Amino acid sequence: MDWVSIFENTLKAFVGINAVYFAIAALGLNVQFGYTGLLNFGQAGFMACGAYGLGMTSHYFDISFWWGPFIALGFAVVLGLLMGVPTLRLRADYLAIVTIAAAEIIRLIVRSVRFKHFFGGSDGINGFSDAFRDVGQDLGIQPASDYGIRPLEFTGRQLWTLIIGWLLVALFGLVVYLLMRSPWGRVLKAIREDEDAVRSLGKNVYWYKMQSLILGGMIGTFAGMMLALDRGSVQPDNYSRDVTFYVLTALVLGGVAKVSGSIVGPMLFWAVFQFVDAVLREASKSGPIRIGDLTLIESTQVGPVNLMLIGASLMLLMVYRPQGLFGNRKEMAFDGR
Amino acid sequence: MPKRLFQGLLVLVMSLAAALGFASAAMAQDSDLSIRVQVRDQQRDEQGRPDNQPVAGVTIVLADGQGTELQRIETDAEGVALFPLPAKADYVVTLVEDTLPDGQSLSEGTVVEQRIPADSFTTSTRTISYFTGSSQSATQSSLEEVAQLTANGIQLGLILAMCSVGLSLIFGTTGLTNFAHGEMVTWGALMAYLLNVTGLGFLGFLGFLPLIDGDGRFQILLAAPFAMALGAALGYAFDWGIFGRLRRRGIGLITQMVLTVGLSILLRNAFLFQFGGRTRPLKDYTLQQAIEIGPVSVTPRDIVITLLSAVILVAVAMTLQMTRLGKATRAVSDNVDLARATGIDTQRVIRIVWMAGGALAALGGVFRGMTEQVGFEMGSNLLFLMFAGITLGGLGSAFGALVGGFMVGLFVELATLVVPSELKNTPALVVLILVLLLRPQGILGKAQRVG
Repeated sequence: MDWVSIFENTLKAFVGINAVYFAIAALGLNVQFGYTGLLNFGQAGFMACGAYGLGMTSHYFDISFWWGPFIALGFAVVLGLLMGVPTLRLRADYLAIVTIAAAEIIRLIVRSVRFKHFFGGSDGINGFSDAFRDVGQDLGIQPASDYGIRPLEFTGRQLWTLIIGWLLVALFGLVVYLLMRSPWGRVLKAIREDEDAVRSLGKNVYWYKMQSLILGGMIGTFAGMMLALDRGSVQPDNYSRDVTFYVLTALVLGGVAKVSGSIVGPMLFWAVFQFVDAVLREASKSGPIRIGDLTLIESTQVGPVNLMLIGASLMLLMVYRPQGLFGNRKEMAFDGR
Repeated sequence: MPKRLFQGLLVLVMSLAAALGFASAAMAQDSDLSIRVQVRDQQRDEQGRPDNQPVAGVTIVLADGQGTELQRIETDAEGVALFPLPAKADYVVTLVEDTLPDGQSLSEGTVVEQRIPADSFTTSTRTISYFTGSSQSATQSSLEEVAQLTANGIQLGLILAMCSVGLSLIFGTTGLTNFAHGEMVTWGALMAYLLNVTGLGFLGFLGFLPLIDGDGRFQILLAAPFAMALGAALGYAFDWGIFGRLRRRGIGLITQMVLTVGLSILLRNAFLFQFGGRTRPLKDYTLQQAIEIGPVSVTPRDIVITLLSAVILVAVAMTLQMTRLGKATRAVSDNVDLARATGIDTQRVIRIVWMAGGALAALGGVFRGMTEQVGFEMGSNLLFLMFAGITLGGLGSAFGALVGGFMVGLFVELATLVVPSELKNTPALVVLILVLLLRPQGILGKAQRVG
């Protein structure tokens, strides 16, 4: 087994683009779930808003790439209102049901033949990100050449996306940190702890929740944008229902209601994921993993096994350490009702 | 700590047992004879390249050499309809042009009806491709179409209602929204597949019995009740191994709900691990000739399934309404503390609700597997329709789940009159949002504070 390359890949995953876009998505989810106690199970929908906001600039609107983020944020506001208006006055699980449904419907719509004209169907959208790349090139990062030292080696393309991505993580981390210390943030946390008490103080709980949902969603759009920019394409299946849950697992791993948790969690999540994946793939490369005569895992089954482990870790985290590695048990949204 | 660890291990072992429970041999069926029909859109983009989008939701009809209809399937998200075949023979494949998405028609040179002679099977899978392009003609909705869709909708609605009863009752009695309920549906279908298609080789000695063959394969009539029992067992295992323990430890409902999400991911991928990503048909009653009843064309299998579903749902409703257990269930669902104070063993009722819900979900899965095909995601794809149904009917009410599930199924099918069939789940979201805006307690829910 090639341990050197396994550890190198693990280290790379620790700071790679996957950790970046998960961290941004987790920061958004943390605003909603960690700080306000809103169960948004449709963060993937907001991420799709981001990706399609960028992609549609060239595919449908035929305007400058730089309008993309604004279109994306517009989409996110609309989606947030669509999810929030019917549910935020009701019990927490209604929001979960509507958000999961909305995210799934968004995926169906963007991959449909009917709306191919707008969203590119199941092939998605390609070739919209030249303007973004050109900026990197103008700053002296050559797309084709390699940068960094082993194992942290990236092509210029990857490096430029990573730099912008980590800058965004830092920016949103700071924004969330400051917001949650502000009077506005304290209202959100108070809503999480006791909605009725906040209401009795004359605050418009519904409106605060709506702001939190939309703010978290708007942050989430940037996760979708970073993924689309890294891949150079927008693919509907990158924004499937389960992506939200992987982000949630990464967030809970790091710790809810903590900015540090929502950044370190995704890094650890992807490092572990990459490590397990690489080990299993190496082990099954020359034939199935077996104990005696019993075939355990064939090389084609490595993917599902890894995802099973994600599901199992989410379950175990919820039972034994719902506050995650860095979270504070007192700041838990989980036992609200 | 050892006790906690024990519980954690128990959860893991249970789920892995669930994963590996149906022997690895399940995958040996891939070489079976079949006709694979794929529909692709060849609309050209600005550069003049065909884009080859798969076209979903197109009805493909398989007929034998004499033109007698055997089976009709809708293409899936990959634009593929797969017909398993008993033997090499002459077949005719026909694409039903009315079911193409609006604004699409077959491209020039593509024939609607394609004959497949028996000697053209060079490999076990014969692939037929249809190519479509865009056109301006919109499909017309006729009375016949409405009748056909109503028939389909009744069937889907009854299956949805059956699957949702458990979801709603578990919510009613414990307050838990179970996001792993879709996997309980899939479980039933997969168990039926294991018994019906893969077979339990070690039961081959029972081959002298009716409905069991020498390889330990159960006829579906026998496999379905066993799948129900295994569904009940899964429900029992969930409550005994996981949720009962969490309740006793006083773990919050939101925590439990997020846990069900993890459970759903775990089980779904365990199914994928064992069963693979392909959808496969069950063995019996797959190739049937549709009969015409007035404007509606429906197979005898679907008629039986529809009638059976209706009978079972009536039985469920009667049980809830008339028996002691049913009354106890409704009492717990109404108010747990009051029910306990009147001497009802609430934990026992909850355990039974999990089991009954699991059994009904499993049977729903078997029926769905018979009318469509069996796949690892079939249940989770229904989950959102189930949620729409029980929200419409009133969360926590069993009768609400019956009525709501049925209405959503009917509505989703009828909506394809206006919505392209690849988007036919979309109207369910509209239903969900409208219900929550206008009457959040649902049709049959009590007007209480739900926020």
